[in-house]
Amino acid sequence: MAVPAPSTTGIPGSALPGPYAVGEYAAALRARLRGFARVQLTGEACDVKVTRARVYFELRDERGAIPCAMWREDFERLGLPPGALAQGAQVVVAGGCDLYPGSASGSPHFHFAVTGLRIAGEGDLLARIERLRRRLVAEGLCERQQALPRPLLPRTIGVVCAERGKARDDVLAGLQRRGWAGRLVWAFAPVQDRHAAPAIGRALGDLAALPETEVVIVARGGGSLADLLAFCDETLCRTVAMLRVPVLASVGHHTDRTLIDDVAAVSCSTPTHAAEAAVPLHVGAARDALARASGRLARAGRRAVTDRARSLARLSRAPGAHVARQRRELHGRTRELQASARRRVESERRASARAARALARGAAAAAGPQRTAREQRLDGFAAALAAHDPQRTLARGYALVEDADGVAVTGAGAALAAGDVRIRFADGAVGAKVREDT
Amino acid sequence: MSELTYEAASGRLEAIIERLDSGEAGLRETLELCREGRGLVEFCAAELDEVSKGLEALRLDELVGRLDA
Repeated sequence: MAVPAPSTTGIPGSALPGPYAVGEYAAALRARLRGFARVQLTGEACDVKVTRARVYFELRDERGAIPCAMWREDFERLGLPPGALAQGAQVVVAGGCDLYPGSASGSPHFHFAVTGLRIAGEGDLLARIERLRRRLVAEGLCERQQALPRPLLPRTIGVVCAERGKARDDVLAGLQRRGWAGRLVWAFAPVQDRHAAPAIGRALGDLAALPETEVVIVARGGGSLADLLAFCDETLCRTVAMLRVPVLASVGHHTDRTLIDDVAAVSCSTPTHAAEAAVPLHVGAARDALARASGRLARAGRRAVTDRARSLARLSRAPGAHVARQRRELHGRTRELQASARRRVESERRASARAARALARGAAAAAGPQRTAREQRLDGFAAALAAHDPQRTLARGYALVEDADGVAVTGAGAALAAGDVRIRFADGAVGAKVREDT
Repeated sequence: MSELTYEAASGRLEAIIERLDSGEAGLRETLELCREGRGLVEFCAAELDEVSKGLEALRLDELVGRLDA
């Protein structure tokens, strides 16, 4: 430390040495800083500014930053391609601490005096990104978004992109191709510098906080890996992974792969593709399909009723048809029966005639020559029988006496005993009273 | 009961049409399915109308400012 040169009285009561002249103190501080070990540092170059004499930039990482300065002559001697020391470029610098002590008119400033510089290759960057990717995967952060349901037909879509860029137009073109014309909330944010990742993270958080937001698109056009580095920011990726709404990422060209592609619900090759993925349904086609579904429903309803009505009509006709069929069958059978009866009668008649003829022939054969003899004998029997007929006796003049019971009275004693008798003549009967012959 | 979504409505509509096409549904079920289907068609048509009435573009910063006001 410089030797104090008190020229003014110090603060009463203060035990600290001094006061010293500030220029001397600054010079002493510079000497002390320059005494620090010279080292190499690595980080992301930000706010690169090239002046005639020097190249200024900040070297940053997630934990801190150091302002750097390099003599322009030394820088140009490196022979780097134009634009190599770009915003976000990962670099390695060699040098040590230094301090410009300022002056009466110039402000002091601390810087890391760079004497050597190497642009870290994409390999370094990719290795760092890969390490972070593995960490995010291990924590399960690459699956959370993919598990979120995505609406077929969102009403409100959030879009994070640069306000002036082709990505914005591409998103609109993609939505137009889907026939989608709902509510679109633009969240414009820088997409390249060191402010990009926090701004994008804030925009995503704000969009997700709107209850109507159903899906968010993050879109950025192509660029170098360094240009796209904001989309590999750990904090941003963690924010995306934890959002309640699905995020569709389209960052860079289809060959680029940033970490936001890993944690997002869907990684799309272009902003147009992201827009189409945000609205999986083509609105016009969906309308056509709905009209077809409506028609099929109506037809199914009509068919269900008409089919059954026809079936009912068929059933209602069935009893009449059944009766008619039975009637036809009955008529048929009646006709068959009549025909059968006629055939049977005819057959019987013919059989009877045959039998009659046979009988006649038999009778004629049986009677034959004995008939006369039999008739004569029969006449003889008749004459004999007639000879014994009492009526014939009465006809010859005899009379028959009968008692009251009709019993023949054959003696005088019986006649007296009977008292009243009937006397039958051939031509009739008379009553008589018997008295004893005196 | 959760709010009906387009996905749920269109999925159910598809299932209804499949059931009707199978010819296995009775008259009562068919008529009920048709009625339910018509309601779903109306819902889906309203959802499609919502995203067809014209692009409404808003800026998040303006929206947030309006909400904060």
